[in-house]
Amino acid sequence: MTGTASRVELPSGIRQRTSAPFGRVVSSELSWILHRPRNLLALLGLALIPVLIGTVLAITGGPSGGTGLFSAVAGNGLVLPVLALMLTQNLLLPLITAMVAADGLAGEAANGTLRGLLLAPIGRVRLVVVKALGVLLMVVLAVGVVALSGVLTGLLIVGSDGLVTLSGTTLPLGEALGRVALATAWCAVQMAAVGAVALAISATTEHSLLVLIATVGGLIVFGVLEAIPSLEWLKPIFITADWYSISDVLSDPIRWNNLVDGLWRAGCYTLVGFSAAVARMATKDT
Amino acid sequence: MGIDRKELEGNRMRRRNIALTASAGIAAGALGLTSMTLPAGAQSPQLPQVSANELLASVMESDPPALSGRITVQNELGLPALPGAGEAGELLSGGEKSMRVWYDGQQRQRISMSDGSGETTVVDDGNTVWKWDSAERTVVKYPHGESSREDSGTERPEADAPADPSELAQRLVGKLRETSTVQVDGTASVAGRDAYELVLTPKPNERTKLREVRIGVGAETRIPLRVEVNANGSSDPALRAGFSELSTGEQDAELFQFTPPENAKVRTPEKPEEQGSAPSREGDSGPGDGNRPRIEGTGWDTVVLSRLPESAMRSSTGDGERSGPGAAETGGTGVRAMAERMGSPVSGSWGHGWVINTSVGSAVLTSDGRVAAGAVPQQVLIEALRDS
Repeated sequence: MTGTASRVELPSGIRQRTSAPFGRVVSSELSWILHRPRNLLALLGLALIPVLIGTVLAITGGPSGGTGLFSAVAGNGLVLPVLALMLTQNLLLPLITAMVAADGLAGEAANGTLRGLLLAPIGRVRLVVVKALGVLLMVVLAVGVVALSGVLTGLLIVGSDGLVTLSGTTLPLGEALGRVALATAWCAVQMAAVGAVALAISATTEHSLLVLIATVGGLIVFGVLEAIPSLEWLKPIFITADWYSISDVLSDPIRWNNLVDGLWRAGCYTLVGFSAAVARMATKDT
Repeated sequence: MGIDRKELEGNRMRRRNIALTASAGIAAGALGLTSMTLPAGAQSPQLPQVSANELLASVMESDPPALSGRITVQNELGLPALPGAGEAGELLSGGEKSMRVWYDGQQRQRISMSDGSGETTVVDDGNTVWKWDSAERTVVKYPHGESSREDSGTERPEADAPADPSELAQRLVGKLRETSTVQVDGTASVAGRDAYELVLTPKPNERTKLREVRIGVGAETRIPLRVEVNANGSSDPALRAGFSELSTGEQDAELFQFTPPENAKVRTPEKPEEQGSAPSREGDSGPGDGNRPRIEGTGWDTVVLSRLPESAMRSSTGDGERSGPGAAETGGTGVRAMAERMGSPVSGSWGHGWVINTSVGSAVLTSDGRVAAGAVPQQVLIEALRDS
């Protein structure tokens, strides 16, 4: 009954006015996110990571003959953004994503402001969409900041004019930046999937901390399960299963199969997470 | 009040519909995830009947077209991990590997293997074979003639199986026909292509550890698309190498060129340097017949007898001598030390040595440096050693 309280006095003729303009709700949510100091600090911290890695590698000259992308970075700066994405997407980026998702619903519930939103003249599906867009914005910003800082550090500190791929071919600068953009987009899709699931968890609780714990804890559990050989068959459903394949954009030609699998998987997770968040919010009592 | 209740009712209905739709979304997502765990259930295609002879002949005649694809090798050979055997060891170690291949239909090819975050790429541009290792950032350059000679001298078909399954299958078929039953046993789908299953079964009098070799021959291209080696006593293939992705058609010529990147180390080996291939390189330094591998028997129970060069037997003698029977009993990282570590000791009237058993074959190294190996039980090897 409270849900209709605001509507009772309105004549039926101006009913369409009862729902708030969607654009305005979205922009207010986005600016809310961008004005939260912890979000800005998180972005700043993320921007420093590639600088740190790049500087250390430039000073030490990188590991000689080591394995992994670290050895590929030396004198080959455009590998740095991909390396930085690979390092941060395991824990740091999911953590920040989960933080924003936690603020979105659980945080509002804890403050008591969610109740106001549920009563406000905005549909519940729209409410979830608004919150999801907020998380998405933060994901894009976070991933973009890592990549951009990586590219700049790579070009300025490590230094390179092009990219030596893992296959030993040399790509010109433009194409190399395309590869970095691809890795960035791919990483953003993965983080969006994490964000969707975190949002679903956020819808079920009013403890922000729980959202962080469940999201990051879940990723850690996936990591542990992946290490058990007899659970090999289960591996394809872990969101983390192909995360290391982000370096496949550095092969020439690009090694697509794991990247595509990863996209499909992230899509499924996004669908599950978003649907679960909607389902929970739709059935939530005010 | 009545309107209010009605509206409330409608609200509730709408919310329930939303929740139902959302639940359907959850189910769809979960289904999509589950579908990833299921192996691609390929149906056996319906193909016109073909006799084994026709099929074999068409395989022999066909040349592989220009193609690009991915070859997946599943190796359950049960070979012990060979420390220090380098790349060959890595290829032979168990598990699943995949590599991407490109072939221009004539002679140029490119193979690319990835291990997590590094990559090994081999480009054969027709004149030179380039081998790039991204972890070491080195390029090894083989002039063309040398590397192909090395390949043909190799006595481990499984080592170069991944490189070109078509070649491997053709070689196998030709060799095994006299001693095997050859038949076409149904059809299969390999890398999305229809294929006939050509099955080679050893004749009953062959003493071998192998049960059958199945070769998936592309119905259209008539090139072998997959090779499966099945051993006795196991339902899963001991070795399965085949295309998991394949597309034929003209390939980009740039793929078959290689320019070493700046600041990469480029070297040209004077001699192939791996220890592991020592027994198979017979020609170069062998003082006569002693080191030349000898083939005993025919068909499936073929045994290869050889003698290790002295250097391999007593490599790195500086490590200090161990007490034992015979002067050759020295420690080190040589083939011998490896056999001692991996194998179990056997002895008999023929002498004394170490045997390594795998699911598809066995090998014996004697203390005086003789080697016998084959896809046979250990007993056959020992008989061959006794007779030699």
